[in-house]
Amino acid sequence: MRRVIGPFSAAFACCISVGAIAAPMGFKGSWMAMGDFSPNWREGFVNYALTAKEAVGPSVVYMRSDDKTKTRELAEVAYTRLIKRWNLPHAQGNVWFIGGVGTLSGNDFSGTRTMVTPGVQVDYETTRFYISAFGRLYRAEGINHDYAAARLGFSFFEAHYDEVQPWAVLEVRRMRGLSDTTEVTPMLRLIHNRYFVEAGVNNFKQIRFNFMYTF
Amino acid sequence: MRNFIATLVIAMTALPALAANSVKATVNGMVCAFCAQGIEKTISRMDATKAVFVDLKGRFVLVEAKDGAALDQKAITAAIVDAGYDVLKVEISTMTVDQIKAASKSAIK
Repeated sequence: MRRVIGPFSAAFACCISVGAIAAPMGFKGSWMAMGDFSPNWREGFVNYALTAKEAVGPSVVYMRSDDKTKTRELAEVAYTRLIKRWNLPHAQGNVWFIGGVGTLSGNDFSGTRTMVTPGVQVDYETTRFYISAFGRLYRAEGINHDYAAARLGFSFFEAHYDEVQPWAVLEVRRMRGLSDTTEVTPMLRLIHNRYFVEAGVNNFKQIRFNFMYTF
Repeated sequence: MRNFIATLVIAMTALPALAANSVKATVNGMVCAFCAQGIEKTISRMDATKAVFVDLKGRFVLVEAKDGAALDQKAITAAIVDAGYDVLKVEISTMTVDQIKAASKSAIK
């Protein structure tokens, strides 16, 4: 059992952190699409900013174990709330609540289970430096996939608003109850005023690709 | 000499008409271009807006008005606040977006 759970947890741990990429919502009245992709998981998350501090939208996640024997599907409605923001002269700090309610299905149990996913993200960034911490509970009947992640990044140079700015980002994350392995992923992040993309290879030698786009 | 003075007077009289009708807002918290795009998108849609420039390092937003149009400072402030930032000061500027963009780029490079 453990042999199956180990790689599965690695996949699961990597598929649920789109919210931890950066500000998890756009400006008031905008739609934001986010994605996190790799061979064993695909996540799509869209939300609409009702106000400057609140967004709501659907999230769909497909996961598969490394040996391809187990799959999970989570479909939820997620609510994002900016709890506190510090707008400083050359920096910004945020505390976010991100939580959802949805249904979880899998090929190792019958039917669906209701899953709740409350979480908190704290971040601080300047034009050259970024640090964040993210924790989220993933609970359903008989299932506990509590999750934590931390990110640290720096940009290679100062960029203008209309230029592409490359960043080096290191992410470390872990999920309780499924694996004793901590995932470490160095990534290259490109930020532009129209898109946000990240790509990297984790310590399981899996390619990851994340994106954000605001409409 | 008389012609020179007359030309000078005419040129000086014409200057205010040639100067841009812009609004400059000083903003706290703008550190990420992707996150600040809401400022540009919202203000660009305003009828009086000719061009918008966001300067992350200089932490300001310059909005240039179309010829003969009047910018709504309250609406501009609200757009920046709705994008998630704090507006410290709003002032009239005679700079065009092209002028301030050139100055900003030369300041970093």
